[in-house]
Amino acid sequence: MQVQARPLGGKTETLDHAIEAIRVRFGSQALTRVAELPPLLPWPSGTPLDRLTGIGGLPRGRLTLLTGTGTCGKLTLALALLAQATHEFAHAVVIDHARQFDPWAMLPFDPDFGSLTVITPPSAEAAGEAASALARAGAGFILLMGEIPEPWLAPMEAGAARSGAVVVGVVDAPGRALAHASSLSLGFTQEGWIYERGQPVGLNVEARYSRNKLAPPVGKSDLEIFYAIGSNSPPHRSGEAGRGRQLTPLDQQQDVECESAAV
Amino acid sequence: MRICCGLAGHLELARHRDLYGTPVVVADADGHVLAVSEEALPFSVEPGIPVRQAEHLCPHATLLSSDPIEADRLRERIAAALYDLAPCVEVRVEGIAWLDLEGVPSPSASIREARRRLRTAIGREPRLGLAPGPFSARLAAARARPGRLLKIDDARAFLAPLPTRELSLDEEQMERLDLLGLRTLGAVAAIGPRELESQLGREGRRAVLLARGLEPDQLTPWQPPMFTSAHRQFEPPVQDREALLFVARALCGDLAEELGLRGAGAKQMRVRLNCEDSEVEARESIVRHPLSSAAELFGLAGSWIKSWQPHAPITEMWIELPVLEAAGRRQLRLWTGGDGTSDEVTAALERLQERHGDAVVRKPRPLLPSSPIPSQRFA
Repeated sequence: MQVQARPLGGKTETLDHAIEAIRVRFGSQALTRVAELPPLLPWPSGTPLDRLTGIGGLPRGRLTLLTGTGTCGKLTLALALLAQATHEFAHAVVIDHARQFDPWAMLPFDPDFGSLTVITPPSAEAAGEAASALARAGAGFILLMGEIPEPWLAPMEAGAARSGAVVVGVVDAPGRALAHASSLSLGFTQEGWIYERGQPVGLNVEARYSRNKLAPPVGKSDLEIFYAIGSNSPPHRSGEAGRGRQLTPLDQQQDVECESAAV
Repeated sequence: MRICCGLAGHLELARHRDLYGTPVVVADADGHVLAVSEEALPFSVEPGIPVRQAEHLCPHATLLSSDPIEADRLRERIAAALYDLAPCVEVRVEGIAWLDLEGVPSPSASIREARRRLRTAIGREPRLGLAPGPFSARLAAARARPGRLLKIDDARAFLAPLPTRELSLDEEQMERLDLLGLRTLGAVAAIGPRELESQLGREGRRAVLLARGLEPDQLTPWQPPMFTSAHRQFEPPVQDREALLFVARALCGDLAEELGLRGAGAKQMRVRLNCEDSEVEARESIVRHPLSSAAELFGLAGSWIKSWQPHAPITEMWIELPVLEAAGRRQLRLWTGGDGTSDEVTAALERLQERHGDAVVRKPRPLLPSSPIPSQRFA
């Protein structure tokens, strides 16, 4: 019979102790081994964008960017996502530093205003503070209208990763820091208008990935976005209304071309 | 009721992971065996026998003395780790963890995560059982392979062939059961509760209910600690601010260590200074995010003391944390639809309004959406 033959010490035990201390101090998600990382959870938005991301929806806990210059449909798509989010999350938040957001533009998508909150921060710094605070607090969906300063990107990313918030940014041309912070960046380019009876009722858009850290890139896709015209009452989410076809962003997805050899 | 049970061996053994795979005997203060490793069981070493007998039966086993306080701390840590996986969690120092999975949105995900966290906490694969009640779940887990789950749907059928020693009765009661010819749980289940109660007392009735899978025992849910405090007396009374800061830092360190062990954070902090003339001066504050480290606690308490000007020498300092919550381990994953974070989001919005004005946050409400004047469309 031997009594307490071996000491408890050892590097492995010390490391385990340190890891446990970090988890106790900062929470169980603060430090995770790669082998124990949870699978990436998508949020199915109900738009054809889900198929383009490669994971079946927008990524939870990550930043998604919709970019493009001029009239290219990125805001229309963002509003459709926001309207869908108001139905599925307890809190859908718009951080509108650029003062571009008009809730009226959402009406065709039949949003639930009960869960919508609009933040109009007085400065870009305040916008960053709001984004990181709300991402950390667990707002389900955050729409960033414009860029936020670089120092706030890391706290926002960390907060979103911890809470699983879906963060979508709408910018014309993202800065280097914002582009680097995003996990999914989708660029839109207008290719032409869609006419019916001589009237413009929508636009043709080419959507192209500039960054996808979630799945092998899908390449590019041609989309048709139809506007709601002459409709004063909140119309249906699909079907026909007014003079033109109902505004259904990404009404059709066409010709998804797989350009990447990595697919 | 769906209960998942994880068996991990006595927590006294889990304190010495480096001895896994070797025969280990843990002795209590009375000189009896408290726990034995699986490797010592083939030598007929069992809990309850004298240590001298264990030495004789298994001379090459490592003998350890028990440390109930450390084992209880480990139990607290495991309970805190499992807390957000099920609405009701019970962990015993014998190495048994129960999770009541009734109403959990994804029971299989909770079981997988419980297995992972138990493995992290004890350093080896737990045995898992899923059954309608705690008793049958524990027996199912005992019959599962390490790292595997044994699922039981019909508890009575599963229990019927098992021996009566699983009922944890004392020796005299076991002898009486043997004399009555009741050697399996199926035989015990076949007779009425009153008949066995007349033989064994209240334990007899409970034994019949257990054998029938009726589960008379309920889990005792672990709850995060709600209150803690630390204090220090001064003899003679002190007025030096540096001395107060020094003591406050030490008290915050003690409190942080306790919070860390319990996986808790403080939502409210109160500092009380008892003065020489029996007057009490106090300051307290509610914080948005739980404080759990010594730096966080001292950051708040120290800032008060630096600006504090007590009117008399201090005889005693108290640092109280009246409201605690499980830091980073709330049961949020059990909520659906993100409702579990509503209060956090509301608090974040209020904080933004405090800093930048009420107008920074608005909730648009449609008034006259068809109005040609944009300002009339929404409230």
